[in-house]
Amino acid sequence: MLEDKLLVLKCRRGSKDAMCRIYLKYKDYMLTLAKGLLGDQAEAEDIVHDVFVAFARSSGKFQLTGSLKGYLATCVSNRARDRIRARTRQADALGSTIPLLAGSHDPEQHAAETEELTRLRQAMSQIPHEQREAIMLHLKGGMKFREIAKLQDVSISTIHGRYRYGLDKLRSLLNGEVEK
Amino acid sequence: MRPAEDIKKLIETLSDKTSAQMDQRVRENMLRALAESEKPSALTWPKIGRTIMKSTITKLATAAVIIALIVLGLLEFIDTENKSGVVWAEVARKVEASRGSVVRCRETTSFQPSDETDYSITYTSPRYSRKDFYEGGQITHTYYTDLSSPDTETITGVYHTHKHYLSQTYQKSRNEFFLEQHEDWMNPRYLVQKILSCEHRKLGQKTIEGVLCEGIETTDPASLGPLPGPVTRLDVEMRLWVNAETEYPVLFESKISGEAEGKAMSSEGVMDQFQWDVDLDPSFLEPNIPPDYVDMRTL
Repeated sequence: MLEDKLLVLKCRRGSKDAMCRIYLKYKDYMLTLAKGLLGDQAEAEDIVHDVFVAFARSSGKFQLTGSLKGYLATCVSNRARDRIRARTRQADALGSTIPLLAGSHDPEQHAAETEELTRLRQAMSQIPHEQREAIMLHLKGGMKFREIAKLQDVSISTIHGRYRYGLDKLRSLLNGEVEK
Repeated sequence: MRPAEDIKKLIETLSDKTSAQMDQRVRENMLRALAESEKPSALTWPKIGRTIMKSTITKLATAAVIIALIVLGLLEFIDTENKSGVVWAEVARKVEASRGSVVRCRETTSFQPSDETDYSITYTSPRYSRKDFYEGGQITHTYYTDLSSPDTETITGVYHTHKHYLSQTYQKSRNEFFLEQHEDWMNPRYLVQKILSCEHRKLGQKTIEGVLCEGIETTDPASLGPLPGPVTRLDVEMRLWVNAETEYPVLFESKISGEAEGKAMSSEGVMDQFQWDVDLDPSFLEPNIPPDYVDMRTL
């Protein structure tokens, strides 16, 4: 936390080194979160790229009020939601259904993952985005339900519900596949 | 049935790694965005080592003009006192001609944690400078600056805590603010110019650690150079003490306070333990990167 505050202070003074350190520290965390939310490697990479570029652009005036990790997770989540909305608009315009999330496009990464994780990603793509967001931000993002509720502008009980229903749905989907 | 706990654990094992290609793309665009955004906020306080002179050519030209003015006696018009033993033109000339210098720097600010480092030691030659940052008696990181090119400046940061290093070459014409903050603070040769180029007064004599010294002081905000934003209630005090016998600086003190964006800010700095006209081994000033240190670009 203190280290992050120092890095942010240095970024405000134009330190390229501090900016690189923040990137190194959080890049994998953010990519995991983005890919978990979107299910698409290329889109997840774009989001991480865009968040860091926007952060660098505004670093001179950036004020860190909470944790940097939480701030970056919120940025990833907001941008992922924008992408989901864009997909919906695109699908509406084409008169088609929303395409399912494609999963990893990177064959090497795909091969490196266990079959179980691949099934998990497929199952994640089939639950509503709000539920996926609550699950990912809580379990991978390390955010509290209260923080997620503030981010999604809903009550804490709603977030609890989304989280619980999401996990139940994932369990059904995964058990269904196992039973096949 | 698979229990929910298993699914939570499975989700927690999700782990994606960025590719080298992505790292390069993000780093390039991120650093470009940072450089473009370096129109600093008013909350960014200039380091006390900043000088009003931006480019090396301007610095040298200004130094020459100041020395000439002093020799001609024109600066006597803006002195509130005169006639002391130290010839300040000679101080400026000697500092400028110094083959190498060593100085300890300490700075505390109201906006930057004071525990970042305890102090730094800067070694400067006309071609290179090296700045070691100390915390608890240990060097935490070192910045090496190659000043030999007229157009570019290469800064290499070696971070001992994490065994990382990063070397970047900057075009002087495109990074004035960044370089100004880094190079000038390390370069004690501009201290005399900084004060003499502004309205100043002589402080008379004082004994510092058994050495008879003479001082000058400026309270002219122009000594800070162009400020990065609107600052009100700006108070500046800079004092330079020079050994009356050798006419080399021995102590530089600064106090700056002001209000930016509604917030009170202050900075205090001391540069002491000077050594002037020393021969510094060039190999000591060139980047020394231990073989097990990792280039941050490859991480």
